[in-house]
Amino acid sequence: MLLSADEVKAIADRVLVRSGADACTISMRGGEETTLRFARNSATTNASIGSVQVTVDSHIGARTGSVTLTSLDEAALAEAIARSEDIARRLPVNPEYMAPLGPQSYEAAATYEGLRTAADATPLAEAAATVIRLGGERNVDVSGNAMAGCGFAAMATSAGLFAYDRHGKAALTVTARNAADSWSGWAGASDASFPRIDAARIGIRAAEKAHHDVPPVDLEPGRYTVILEPAAVAELMSFMLWAMDARSAEEGRSFLARKGGGTKLGERLFDAKITVSSDPADPVIPGPVFGRDGLPHRRSIWIDHGIVRTLFRSRYWAARTGETPIPPPHGFAIAGGNVSIDEMIKSTKRGLLVTRFWYTNLVDPQTLVVTGLTRDGNFFIENGRIVAPARNLRFNESAVALFGRVAALGSTERVWWEANGGGGICAPPLLAEEFTFSSKSSGI
Amino acid sequence: MLSRTEQLDLADLAIRLARQMGADYADVRIGRTWTEYLLAREHRLEECNQQSELGLGLRILLKHSWGFAASQRPDRDAVSRCVDRAIDNARAVCPIQARAIVLEEIPVHEAEWIMPLGIDPFSVSADIKAEKLIAINAAALGAGADFCTSSFLFTRDERLFASSRGSRIFQARTRSFPSFEVTAVDRQSGAFASRASLAPARAAGFDYVISCDLVAEAALATEQARQKLRAQSVRPGQYDLVIDPTNLWLTIHETVGHSTELDRVLGWEANFAGTSFVKPEGLNRLRFGSPLMTILADRSQDGGLASVAFDDDGVGCAAAEFPIIENGILRNFQMALGQAGSIGLERSNGCAYAARPTDFPIQRMPNISLKPNPSPCSLNELFAGVDHGLYIVGSGSWSIDQQRDNFQFSGQLFYEIKNGRLGQMLRDVAYQGRTLDFWNAMDGLGDASTYFLGGSFYCGKGEPVQLAPVSHGAVPARFRGATVLNTASQDI
Repeated sequence: MLLSADEVKAIADRVLVRSGADACTISMRGGEETTLRFARNSATTNASIGSVQVTVDSHIGARTGSVTLTSLDEAALAEAIARSEDIARRLPVNPEYMAPLGPQSYEAAATYEGLRTAADATPLAEAAATVIRLGGERNVDVSGNAMAGCGFAAMATSAGLFAYDRHGKAALTVTARNAADSWSGWAGASDASFPRIDAARIGIRAAEKAHHDVPPVDLEPGRYTVILEPAAVAELMSFMLWAMDARSAEEGRSFLARKGGGTKLGERLFDAKITVSSDPADPVIPGPVFGRDGLPHRRSIWIDHGIVRTLFRSRYWAARTGETPIPPPHGFAIAGGNVSIDEMIKSTKRGLLVTRFWYTNLVDPQTLVVTGLTRDGNFFIENGRIVAPARNLRFNESAVALFGRVAALGSTERVWWEANGGGGICAPPLLAEEFTFSSKSSGI
Repeated sequence: MLSRTEQLDLADLAIRLARQMGADYADVRIGRTWTEYLLAREHRLEECNQQSELGLGLRILLKHSWGFAASQRPDRDAVSRCVDRAIDNARAVCPIQARAIVLEEIPVHEAEWIMPLGIDPFSVSADIKAEKLIAINAAALGAGADFCTSSFLFTRDERLFASSRGSRIFQARTRSFPSFEVTAVDRQSGAFASRASLAPARAAGFDYVISCDLVAEAALATEQARQKLRAQSVRPGQYDLVIDPTNLWLTIHETVGHSTELDRVLGWEANFAGTSFVKPEGLNRLRFGSPLMTILADRSQDGGLASVAFDDDGVGCAAAEFPIIENGILRNFQMALGQAGSIGLERSNGCAYAARPTDFPIQRMPNISLKPNPSPCSLNELFAGVDHGLYIVGSGSWSIDQQRDNFQFSGQLFYEIKNGRLGQMLRDVAYQGRTLDFWNAMDGLGDASTYFLGGSFYCGKGEPVQLAPVSHGAVPARFRGATVLNTASQDI
């Protein structure tokens, strides 16, 4: 269900008028989405759904009771208000309670052309048909997922805050497997609307990565020079960015905590080529103009040429420490460089070209060691050229250490991978040495 | 709130309209899910949210193609829109339906199943729950923790399944998940260590939460977190492992549970979660593990998160128990409707689940458990057979490849085993392995007295991702010659 700002405000105003609490916050989100899956060249499942969610937070004293419902029915909203107030009255006082914010000044929201409710499955099926045809021409089986939709998010408080954002979203991912089922490739993209996604380009890319009949080279575990494609880079940076919380660092329980107390804010922890920022007005990955608690999203530079420049912090922690509150990022962009993947390959004596990672998970929050595996397009490079597919490997690598020894970056591009905050990510390909692969996998 | 009569009327309408529009088959799920989540940090309650979600999901089969549409506003207008949209979706995919979806015949049921429940957690006042969470944290802080976070998560599903074949099934179940994590910080060295609770999620009520005695565990966990800070870092290498069921349940989930899902084996999940190293021709042939290894699937285990009478395809499964692995040999795949025929089998064995009524039902795990040793065998007896090894307790980090072969698991607590006896605590441990090698290296198994029912609320699968709760029973087991790495140093 895609509600307009006026429709949302009308609902929020009705709820706020009815509220008997000291203060009240209404959060709403919703949208329409259609997904279509195909596997081994044939349709499997699909789904179309419209959704809406309203959360009523009633604040009584320094206590907050919260009720969420998926209905806009007046009786249901009235019941939610009453119940949230009842919950609040029963709870203990929260010494970190912060009263809802009043009116805020937000950046101009991104505009999305042609936002459609009830997204049609036909263009998704046509894209799948294109991908299947292109896969057939290259003698590979294809599987994939196409998605298109739109959504909104809004917040209103009894103190006068009102924030509203709407967005379009679309994605296509394709996994191709060769006829012998002995090799695979992947490609994917996301954008604000499905017509902007080039299904043929994605299908060809996945198919050409998969279209190898020679057995993959078996490499021994060890430390290798790697060229990580943007999707892989985005995934590793996500682990780091979402650990850049000021409170955890200042409490001594994050990778940014310093021995003896204090944090590493302001220190150069990473290679000078690394700059990571978020900007709701980014033309490639536009984001919402408001975040947690209705705080405005502003352009933030989290890592500035290798220096830890900004940490996100809650309103409570900001007040306690005398700093500015900054909401966690919705999405992020890693600044790129000017070395192409081809140039990176030519400069590599012995290494691996990695398309993407799979099943990554944090192993050690102190060092940000992340484990995972390569998947769907791993290639062995020797003396400046790709010589063969390389069997997948498990890695254990510290994200901090990796971004501290970057040899080169390529052009940044929007990747399929979605940020923890639900927003888009832009990342470049990255060349680095001494990447730790710890065991072999037979998984294709 | 929809009455049962109203739900039945909407289901009848959806199915009638779908058939009128040409659907060869239709089923619908209508229901409500209640969720309550409380989070406490140190001495304060940070969050208390109650959520209610109503939904209707209509699935139709039109000339061998699925079409699905859903709404959170189950009324007659929404039903009509869902029918139109589901039919449109099925028509849209017809041109790319190279492989026909064919549904087997299954028995029709008119039934009701309500999970037996002790104390309904939704009847317990928020202040009582808040008080319990703060008491857990207070116990940890009192024992010397620097930080403690605790939470309760409760869900209740009430759902009607109706199909064009005539099934009308009402089911209801409740689940509870209490948890905490304590953190100890050494400001001088800059190190910090955490220890998470071992109590799993269960299909149970508030009485289960009380029985977990998290206050006592929080104090113990604090002591153990402090010990971790002082513990010796493990030397990487080859070790014999005794794995506690509080850790092993997750290994079972990832290596056995997921690798034997038929849709994955057939390649239907290739784009996201992957495929499997297990092939259809491995049925009754593949030596998955040692003869000690029997893995059973069930829908009836008391407290099992996947215990239910009928799956979300309407297949009766309350009495269904089947071996996935029997004495080390692969015996069965987990199947949902429309899959069995692909490998020459007759019908589904009741493994379909939709996380919400508004989700397309896909194949998901039933409870999947390691059968205990029929002969007496205690934990100490497992230790006794180890000269150089590690004992691993509790779940930590986890990762496995896209065909369920190469895995890596960490844990909460690690102890040296030396010459048959439990020794000092260690830290920075993860064990890596290859699924078949690992399970074939199992040479010790605890008996029924050591059984523990673990599980997770958060098994993810499908696009868009659906979360499924599932339980795994396990006993402690011994595995020879596993690779252990040091997670702090990345030593290979």
